[in-house]
This record gives sequence, C-alpha cells and structure tokens, in this order.
Amino acid sequence: MTEKTDREIVNEVLQGNTELFQLVIYRYQKAIFNYIYRMVKHRQEAEDLAQETFVRVFSKLKRYDHTYEFSTWVYRIALNVCRDFFRKKKFFFFSLQNPVGEEEESEFADFIEQESFCDPDGVILNQELKLEIERAIMRLPVKFREIIVLRHIDGLSYEEIANVTSLPIGTVKTYIYRARKKLQEDLKRYLE
Amino acid sequence: MNMHEEKEQKLSGLLESLPQKEVSEGFAERVMHAIEGRRPGRPVFSEVKKWVVLCLACFFLAAVFLSDLPILPQLEITQLAGYRRVELVFYSPSQSPQTVAVAGDFSNWDYVEMEEVGEDYWQVTVQVKPGRYQYAFVIDGEQWLPDPLSPRKVADGFGGFNSVLVVNGFKIGSSL
Repeated sequence: MTEKTDREIVNEVLQGNTELFQLVIYRYQKAIFNYIYRMVKHRQEAEDLAQETFVRVFSKLKRYDHTYEFSTWVYRIALNVCRDFFRKKKFFFFSLQNPVGEEEESEFADFIEQESFCDPDGVILNQELKLEIERAIMRLPVKFREIIVLRHIDGLSYEEIANVTSLPIGTVKTYIYRARKKLQEDLKRYLE
Repeated sequence: MNMHEEKEQKLSGLLESLPQKEVSEGFAERVMHAIEGRRPGRPVFSEVKKWVVLCLACFFLAAVFLSDLPILPQLEITQLAGYRRVELVFYSPSQSPQTVAVAGDFSNWDYVEMEEVGEDYWQVTVQVKPGRYQYAFVIDGEQWLPDPLSPRKVADGFGGFNSVLVVNGFKIGSSL
C-alpha cells in the first residue's frame, strides 16, 4: 500500500476526515520540534510552540496554497510561531552573557547516552564541543539563527528557505554567509 | 581544497552532526486534543481582533466628527518654530501721545501699533526668533524715539538712536 501524499491528506482532512491530520503531525513533528528547539533552546517551550504550530496548520488548512510544498508551508508557520514567541518574550536577541541553563546541560547528557555521532574527520565529538556549537547558534541574532537552522540542521535548500522566510534568495545566501562567518569565529579552535 | 574550504566543510559537518531530539510520547494526541478543544467555533481573540480594531476606529471617528474634539492635538506653533514672545512697553508721561507704534528689524521697519493699556502706558507683544534687533517707537506717526526704558542704544544713521533688543534662545516669553 502506498503512503498518502501530503496533498491527499490535506484534501481528505478538508473533506471532514479530521482524524487523518494526525498523520501530518506524525510526519512533521520531529522536524518541526527540532527546528523550534534550536530556536528557543528550551524543551518544554519548544514542545508548546510545536503544538501551537500544528494547531495553526490545522486551522489555516483551507488557506494552504498548493503551489508551495506543504513542508515549506508548515515550516513557515513554525517560523511565525517562533517570531510571535520572541516578540511576546521580548528577547529577540539573546544576551551574550546568558549562561547556559542547567536544563540545557542535562539535556545534552541525554544526547550522549542515546546516540553517538562523528565529525567529518571521524573523531567522536565530545560533550563540550556540542555545547559550544549550541551556544554559538544561540548567540546568532534570530534572523540569522532561523536561516542557519533551516539550512544546516533541517537541510532545506536556499529556495525552500526563501519560501519559508519570504526573503529573496540573495538575502538568504547573505545571511547564511554572515552567520557562518560568525560561527567560524566562535568555533575557531575546533575548526583548526 | 584550501584551508578556507576545509573550515567551511568542517563547520557544515559540525552543524549537521548535532543530534535530533524526539518529541515526548503522546505529542500528536495532545495536539489533536488541542485542535478538538478549539473547534467548536468559539472565536479566539486573534479572530475578533480586527473587529475590535474596526469598532474602536469607528468610535474614534464618530467622537471626532460629532463632538468638538480636535482631530490633531493643538500645538503651540510659535514655540515649535523657535519664536519667542516679547512684550514691548512704552512709558513716557511727558509725551502723552495719541498713538504709539513700534518698528524694528523684526517687522522690517513696518509700524506695529501699540495698545494703550494704562495712562501713558503702551504695550505690544511681538513674536521674534532669538537674535539681536534694532527698534524704535513712533510717536503720533511722526516722531521716532528710542526706548526710554532701555539702556542699549546704537546710532540709527540719521543722527538719532535706535534701541537694541536682544532675544536669547533659552527663555520663552521674555519681556522688556
């Protein structure tokens, strides 16, 4: 049996089979949750915002424009949910002095136990390095962070990022270039 | 591959190697529950917000047109433009003039009629920008006199004197 496409699911949900929307959630929950988590760096808030994202996706389903990829549209809603969150919290830019919370440290411990992963040279990354990468991402201004996460962690193409963020591709490339430059400075000692 | 490209590649590798997190168990069910909770057609604030804004705008417009409320706040233009109000006084019991006017740099030497506010006591308020001005009083339309109350005088080039008015830029409503 072939899997239903996003479009087929959307059409069926719109025709009244709302239970099928659960398939959409299963399909995108991990990606959207991880995107939001990289943006806000707080598990519970990320989960609440991911929930809000799917609720909005459902409530706006009638307005979904089929000329866009469904996944791009879902990301766009997640991005807007995050922006609303930052606006409400009034911390569009994270302070450089912000210490990494205890929760963050302990969550990293979970990663280490659950999975091992390697850098391009095949050297196992240690906990400190991963923490440094996370911190470097969090130090980026939100507009750069949004794009670097979409590009390098969620693996979206330039065109998809442009669709998600409503920015011209040229601007997307510029933001990525500047964000990477900043990350290279912050992670200098691990890149040499 | 040069060093720069190598760094770029390493950075990409580092970023892409960050571990993915799993959502907590029952996430999808909770979302579906939240969706169900919002479905019975109760309008949330975001949906009624535009109507609230529209109603407030209508109320404001009605208040403006059906009442004496000003559309824009009344502003003191002279203060905004840097003008100062200067009160000039002419007092000379020995003259007992019928009319007194003042003329100066600030009026392009046109007469500015003064008002008799007491016996032999004439007064006018002019609006001038901060600066230094020459002026004189014109008694009964023909006799030019410097200000008898002002010690600052300069030659007027016709054998007489003009008084000097200095308006500073700090005080509003300075008077002589």
